[in-house]
Amino acid sequence: MALDLDAVSEADLAAKTSALAAWLHANAPVAIGYSGGVDSAYLAVAARQTLGADRALAIIGRSASYPAEQWATARDVAQRFDVKVLELDTGELDDPRYAANPSNRCYYCKTELWSRLVPVAYSCGFPTVVDGTNADDLSDYRPGAQAAGEHRVASPLAELGFTKLHIRHASRALGIPTWQQPSSPCLSSRLPYGTEVTRGRLRQIELAEAALRKLGIAGDLRVRFHEELARVELAPTELSAWLDPERMAVLTEAVSQAGFTRVALDLRGFRSGSLNVLHGVSIA
Amino acid sequence: MSELRGERTSRNAVALAAAIAELGIDCALEARGGLALLLPTPEGVAALQVDESRRAVLALAKEHGFTHVAIELPSERRRSSTSADAPLLRG
Repeated sequence: MALDLDAVSEADLAAKTSALAAWLHANAPVAIGYSGGVDSAYLAVAARQTLGADRALAIIGRSASYPAEQWATARDVAQRFDVKVLELDTGELDDPRYAANPSNRCYYCKTELWSRLVPVAYSCGFPTVVDGTNADDLSDYRPGAQAAGEHRVASPLAELGFTKLHIRHASRALGIPTWQQPSSPCLSSRLPYGTEVTRGRLRQIELAEAALRKLGIAGDLRVRFHEELARVELAPTELSAWLDPERMAVLTEAVSQAGFTRVALDLRGFRSGSLNVLHGVSIA
Repeated sequence: MSELRGERTSRNAVALAAAIAELGIDCALEARGGLALLLPTPEGVAALQVDESRRAVLALAKEHGFTHVAIELPSERRRSSTSADAPLLRG
């Protein structure tokens, strides 16, 4: 991934990272809701480097909607940067309000996550719990943010004006491999609202995306679930190459192995919140 | 020639199928909510490899009320499983 080096000035980035360090010192010790995504990986490493090993704790909530590949990344980053990690299981799929997949599904997921994670953080001696929400997220449809507020989870990156681009630049400066990682929302985001979230469907999506990664597809990638049909969204730079008939056959075979009987390639390519647009939650 | 199948909604799938045919892209069209699913012939696939053609199709789809356009990829499994599908309608 190429970063637009002119989009973030060194002075701006230095000011933001200093502000984050000050925030962390003022609120230490800090537990981080940690997924291994771009944002929480940066926050966990920044907290570890600012506060030391004993005053920063990354907590992973594991469930069927959390891709195994991302869990592996989370573990790898934590190991490389000596971040202490605690893992716990979450059961959002057992909540029928979540499984029904309403447009505020993320609220129920985050309620489950924080209601388990926050008490554990407190009992381990971490009175401040933070998440990786960034400033860009504030303009998107994010019902999960309400749950964070209800559980007194702070979002220092958003609070201090860190955009995704700031976080990628800062991550690269620290040598965190996730700096160029595509955004990685939970697997349930591939199902249209109103389509029931089941472990089987999440597994199907995860297998299909993993198979596509094995084909060498880089950058943003989503397998959107439409019952028997998988609609694949690729980064626009990848799209043309996969419209070659021979490569289309390879792509079809890879996705079909995950249990889809029909495979389609989106002609516009990846867009964040694509199913929100399809179902009228927001306008692209 | 274009064909149309799937639901008929306030989105104008018939007109979209006709407009895509006018671009010289040979395909059937299945409307699934806001998704226009194109089932192109090999010639249609070749046409859609051109960036300009894809942009034109996307613009037409938006004009006719669709938010997404995808092309279904050829599959042996699909060919054997779609015999019970809704009948194809002529666009």
